[in-house]
Amino acid sequence: MKKILNNPADYVDEMLDGLVAAHPESYRRLGETGRVIARAGGPVQGKVGIVSGGGSGHLPTFTGYVGPGLLDACSIGNVFAGPSVGDCVDAMRAADGGAGVLRLYGNYGGDRMNFDMAGEMLEMEGMETTSVLVADDVASAGPEERAKRRGVAGLIYAYKIAGAMADRPGATLGEVTAAARKAVSATASIGVALTPCIVPESGRPTFSIADDEMEMGMGIHGEPGIWRGPLRRADEIAGEMLDRLLADTGIGRGERVSVLVNSLGATPHEELYILYRHLSRRLADAGVAVAVPLVGRYATSMEMAGASLTLLRLDEELEALLRAPASCPFWSM
Amino acid sequence: MNTTENGLTVAVLASALDRWADRMEAAADELNALDGRLGDGDLGATLAKCAQNIRAIRPGLDNSGAGDGGTGDGDLGQAFKACAMACSKASGSSFGTLLAVAFLTAAKATAGRTSLPCSELPQLLGDILGALSSRGGAALGDKTVLDPLDAVREALAALDAGERSDTAAQHGAATRATDRTIEIFRNKPNRIGRARMFAERSVGLDDPGMIAFRHMLESLRPVRP
Repeated sequence: MKKILNNPADYVDEMLDGLVAAHPESYRRLGETGRVIARAGGPVQGKVGIVSGGGSGHLPTFTGYVGPGLLDACSIGNVFAGPSVGDCVDAMRAADGGAGVLRLYGNYGGDRMNFDMAGEMLEMEGMETTSVLVADDVASAGPEERAKRRGVAGLIYAYKIAGAMADRPGATLGEVTAAARKAVSATASIGVALTPCIVPESGRPTFSIADDEMEMGMGIHGEPGIWRGPLRRADEIAGEMLDRLLADTGIGRGERVSVLVNSLGATPHEELYILYRHLSRRLADAGVAVAVPLVGRYATSMEMAGASLTLLRLDEELEALLRAPASCPFWSM
Repeated sequence: MNTTENGLTVAVLASALDRWADRMEAAADELNALDGRLGDGDLGATLAKCAQNIRAIRPGLDNSGAGDGGTGDGDLGQAFKACAMACSKASGSSFGTLLAVAFLTAAKATAGRTSLPCSELPQLLGDILGALSSRGGAALGDKTVLDPLDAVREALAALDAGERSDTAAQHGAATRATDRTIEIFRNKPNRIGRARMFAERSVGLDDPGMIAFRHMLESLRPVRP
């Protein structure tokens, strides 16, 4: 293992120390175990709170997206390991401005169990809560089993849309929840992996793959994908990812989408733009207009090489919410 | 569960939790080793952390109930909820969360009550099974803690009225049901969780969660006053 760290066991806590030290105007660290990142200014009274969370290793996801127009608080676990129920409870309390709290997170069994449990405990205390699971990875389950899909980079669209709705004056928990659901159902993603990453606590790669191979459809923790084979040219990779998403969603001529080309960590911006070049041409040929293209590191898997493509199918409401102001140290609109 | 003729009260629960916490700490290394053969190897550490957290809320249970001195006959629901919160703070194995789920289910079932008659235990265990299954996603037969829990529920429900108010008889029946379930499942594969990926290797190995359950049950052996 070749990583910049002090002690693997301190990896997450030292990362959070640094995150807060670098951005004190944005974040504060809370919770009994210090595994909650909340907005520096505290909850906004009268606004619906939005919490997310999951394992570390995906920055800027999850904690990075705490900020105005986005999330109110996040609970964070060890690398690729979910936060505890207690951390989720603390995050929900930190997000509570008295208008209810939405739990908005990726569809993984452990996270679901812990967030649901936290919600149940706080509901016993009278907090109003709802839950929306982000399930956008088309490689993890077919269209007939959408609810079983894993949550990947599409998370950030759900954060953005729900966050913008929560900022509208008088928005209710029901309205924010509905906006989040709408964003999730309009989002589809697929990833491609070239190399594994190493979880610092275990010191082992998440999977093995030959030097000249790629895997289409792999998840952000190395979950198996659709096929594995020789590394293809960028245009072919972009083309197959787009074809799969268009086939899954049925997006076609005359529609508008936002496009997210995301690095899984090691893949540089240069290669993301090489992918985007082909995607933008293909979408133009298909008569699909692109609004708000996003290219960069939004949801990573440590130092994994690879990329993911996400499409958000827009209508007027979603586009207005997507374009609403939002800011965090990693992304602003 | 150690119950008296009046059934389960906060005082009974508090003393049972002391013995439970002692046992979880004593069994931590054994459970870590068992878990390490198929999983993360953090089951014992997680339960030891739960025990530590339960000890931290223990003084509050002594002071529960009406009266300045604390009579120990306070709201069972509140006591169980405090246990759920304590276990929910232990990160690591999902078993900690499952314990919290079990305690929270008990909290809901006993909210506002100061005692739970022994005769209601099978019903409560049934509620807990349902909650664990829907939260954790496991089904009966998957070789998890649900299997001995269900066997105990069935064994308690089958006791006649006389035996049902006799805590020693209840504990004996529960112990036999648990031992039998562990025997039956030893040579079956795990069907859920990380161990599922090593399903073949799990044949012949006891499920660490079932062994943890047996430790818990042993620690709750009734103490005659």
